[in-house]
Amino acid sequence: MQRKIAIVGYAQTHHEADPPNTREGMVFEVAKGALDKAGITREAIDTVINVSSDYQDGRTISNLFLVMAEGAYLKDESKVEMDGAFGVLYAMMRILSGTHDTAMVVGVTQGSIFSPHQISFYTLDPTFDRQIGLLNDVAAAAIQARMYKNKYDVSDEQIAMVSVKNLVNATSNPYAHRRIPKPTVKKVLNSKLYCDPIRELNISPISDGACALILASEEKAKEITDAPVWVKGVGNCQDSYLRDRNLLKLESLETAAKKAYKMAGVKDPPTELDVAEVTERFSHEELMIYEALGLCREGKGKILIETGVTERKGQTPVNPSGGALGADPVLATGLVRIVEAAKQIRGEAGKYQIQGVRQALAHGQTGLCAQSNIVFILGGER
Amino acid sequence: MMRRNVAIIGCGQTKHGRLRNVNTAEMISEAAWNAMEDAKVTPDEVEAIVVGNMQGFGGIYDTELWAGELFGAPKPFLRITTGGTTGGSVAHGGYYSVASGLHDVVLAVAWEKHSDSKERGATTGLAHVAMANMFHDLQQGASLKWLVSLVTGAAIGVSAFQASCYMYRSGCKVEHLDMVAAKDRRNAAKNEYAHLRWPNCTPEDIAKTEWVSYPLRFGHVCPASDGASAVVFAEEKIAKKKAERPAWIKSVAAYADEPNWLGENSQGTAITDLSEQLECIISAKEAYRRAGIKDPRKEIDMAEIYQPFPHQELMFSERLDLFDDGKAWIALEEGQTEIDGSMPLDPSGGVISTNAIGSSAMQRVLECALQIMGKAGKHQVPKDVKNAVAHGWGGSVNFTTVAVLGDSPRR
Amino acid sequence: MEKREVIKVTGLPIVAGFRWSVGKMMEKFIKSFADKKIIAAKCPKCGYTYVPPRSRCGKCYTKIEEKNLVELSGKGTLTGYTTAYVELDGKGIFLDLDNPKVIGAIKLDDSDSTIFMPLGEIDQKNVKEGIKVKVVWKEETKGEIADILYFKPAR
Repeated sequence: MQRKIAIVGYAQTHHEADPPNTREGMVFEVAKGALDKAGITREAIDTVINVSSDYQDGRTISNLFLVMAEGAYLKDESKVEMDGAFGVLYAMMRILSGTHDTAMVVGVTQGSIFSPHQISFYTLDPTFDRQIGLLNDVAAAAIQARMYKNKYDVSDEQIAMVSVKNLVNATSNPYAHRRIPKPTVKKVLNSKLYCDPIRELNISPISDGACALILASEEKAKEITDAPVWVKGVGNCQDSYLRDRNLLKLESLETAAKKAYKMAGVKDPPTELDVAEVTERFSHEELMIYEALGLCREGKGKILIETGVTERKGQTPVNPSGGALGADPVLATGLVRIVEAAKQIRGEAGKYQIQGVRQALAHGQTGLCAQSNIVFILGGER
Repeated sequence: MMRRNVAIIGCGQTKHGRLRNVNTAEMISEAAWNAMEDAKVTPDEVEAIVVGNMQGFGGIYDTELWAGELFGAPKPFLRITTGGTTGGSVAHGGYYSVASGLHDVVLAVAWEKHSDSKERGATTGLAHVAMANMFHDLQQGASLKWLVSLVTGAAIGVSAFQASCYMYRSGCKVEHLDMVAAKDRRNAAKNEYAHLRWPNCTPEDIAKTEWVSYPLRFGHVCPASDGASAVVFAEEKIAKKKAERPAWIKSVAAYADEPNWLGENSQGTAITDLSEQLECIISAKEAYRRAGIKDPRKEIDMAEIYQPFPHQELMFSERLDLFDDGKAWIALEEGQTEIDGSMPLDPSGGVISTNAIGSSAMQRVLECALQIMGKAGKHQVPKDVKNAVAHGWGGSVNFTTVAVLGDSPRR
Repeated sequence: MEKREVIKVTGLPIVAGFRWSVGKMMEKFIKSFADKKIIAAKCPKCGYTYVPPRSRCGKCYTKIEEKNLVELSGKGTLTGYTTAYVELDGKGIFLDLDNPKVIGAIKLDDSDSTIFMPLGEIDQKNVKEGIKVKVVWKEETKGEIADILYFKPAR
């Protein structure tokens, strides 16, 4: 990369369903929080990228109303309308270009305003699939889950173990939305059936939340903090549409991960990644994500979950924060994954801190069955 | 640090109008392929795609998820949407993608398909915009019924208010708005891709049209077009190989002054001067500084201004520091802003002739690139274009995107 | 500090309606239903066959023209499926279905795309990957999407 870039500050709201707060209020909370964490003021930020969605907010050019709350008054700013992690990519590009030295990225969605599941329906081909009216993100994921189960002989119990792992992890995370006291495979398998084999506790909750982080170039990062989290690599890719892509494999995620690994110099992900924060909107997705990230071979995701490799005390903990199954503020979710990975590197993850994290992976996605993916590799000082 | 130089090496668009023969995916694909062919690149050489449109107008969410494969997916995609300035922001996104060093060749494409909405014109989408803009009035005590009745005013209402502010501030008359509209309709007649084309349009022709909302007449209003536009950005070495005369991006800047109308500056009272456009002044200053332009009046040869309504051409040309504040109408009277004048404005016909909202601000960048590359055909300005400025406007009427393009890379 | 009252506003008196133009290929595809035909677009270069048809191959980027349209038999293989017990009501609420719907992912013979269609005349326990299925048309087809009722197992 042309310049080194680090994360120097961040903040997130406590994600929940329908809190008595406005979008502007949430954005202000996290923007101010990130600035305070970094110990800088609004004046030090060169450019601001906002991530929010018109359809989720129910109004056009929704993001223009957040400009003031995110501290972007009279600043060079833009907006990205995909998962928040893609907003971080754009902010990175602005700094890498040399035009800016610091950037703030803010992502917010109040999922309670309009269901992201309904919105997934609007991404379908309007001339055909949408007219037939059968599909939505849950139905499509269910078809994928069934295909995956049949091909690799994966059981509902093994998939439920992902939910249990993440929901248990979420209980240690004060920011998480879904806090179920004693999650068990039985509870997951008894939760409401949506589209076979996907049940309520296999699906991420609809959360309201916001998240912000601050990026800085090397020189500025060293001025701002003693504990910069370096962005070592990034890669993204988007698959073809549902009708013409391979649903058995998250191919675009594999491509994105390979690019990120190459940039970061990661040759053996299972040993070189100390923790991974991924966006799993459905629990079976996490097993497919293991495979696409190269943590195991195709179809072997079930072995990782069964043997506890991805548990908090395992060799490669995945989603110690609880992941998307713990809190899914839609467009802010990818940003939260990056922040959670950064927290692990800085040793600020409290009750769910993994020991000795030097290199972490963060993943965000957008689209039916994880159609568009982005992967970040973050590293600590040494 | 060594800054990467980025140039536009190819442009593509669809003809604009009411395109009922194609679906949105095919429309986007046409512009994308035209751009790739013009740039002499294959989809395999394009490393990433930046897209954008205003989603409320088309009724499809994240269209590129469905349409992407018609012009390059699987590939890295980035969606940037900033309202009316979307096209400009998408162009900036394409620029930054290459300037960052992460990619060497990037396709940027923006579009809008207004005819897909059931209501005529862009009413469906505009209703959303108006609702959003007036939401905060609910907090000021306005009733929902009153709010809905305001929706009919929408963009024209705001622009009429802005035009009044501008006329008061500058002393220009309605006749000048007629002159601008006529000039742009004549220019559009020379542009085969434009929507409203009126070869011998005179200010009198415009003055005969009915009032919509004083001081705006029907002849002053932009159409709601279907269309897409695309440009290909490349880094220096590749640009020099692929294009005879690449259009170099010297700088980009995008600033917003949303509180002017929405927030603290006016406490939601709308007692504000919408013709002040502070953010345009700042965007232009920054863009010129980054581009190394010290005297825009001498160094900028032409401008493509985002002007869905004619007063905006005059107003923004002043805020872009091409004329003194309040004096653009004099330059207009003297013919300076004609296609063969000393400071041609909108030789393509501008937004007032062609408005596929998501794509309009990108078209300004595209048209400046065509002029520098010498590929603007019948609407090529006769003078040598060394530097051009492309402008976009939108947001809550206070967000501006500016790009300075030139015939040589920035050193 | 006074108590804040939350006034819920559900729905506005504005409806955003859309009518998407489908393009020439899709128009032909849908109109062919009147003759109980399913047509697809076969790439002249690499042979990848899209259903519904489209004008550009996404695999090798070649243009696909009307002369490259082919007629399919209407028979295919079930490559995936799910039983939906809920359905979206258009406003984001999942409603319980009295009669669960079986959705099939189907690869029609001589085509490469996967289409997602309802399955009918089949017992849930007989739904398996790999079974052969075929289209069931309405008695009277008019050339609209509703002409296809569902797919059923083919002998």
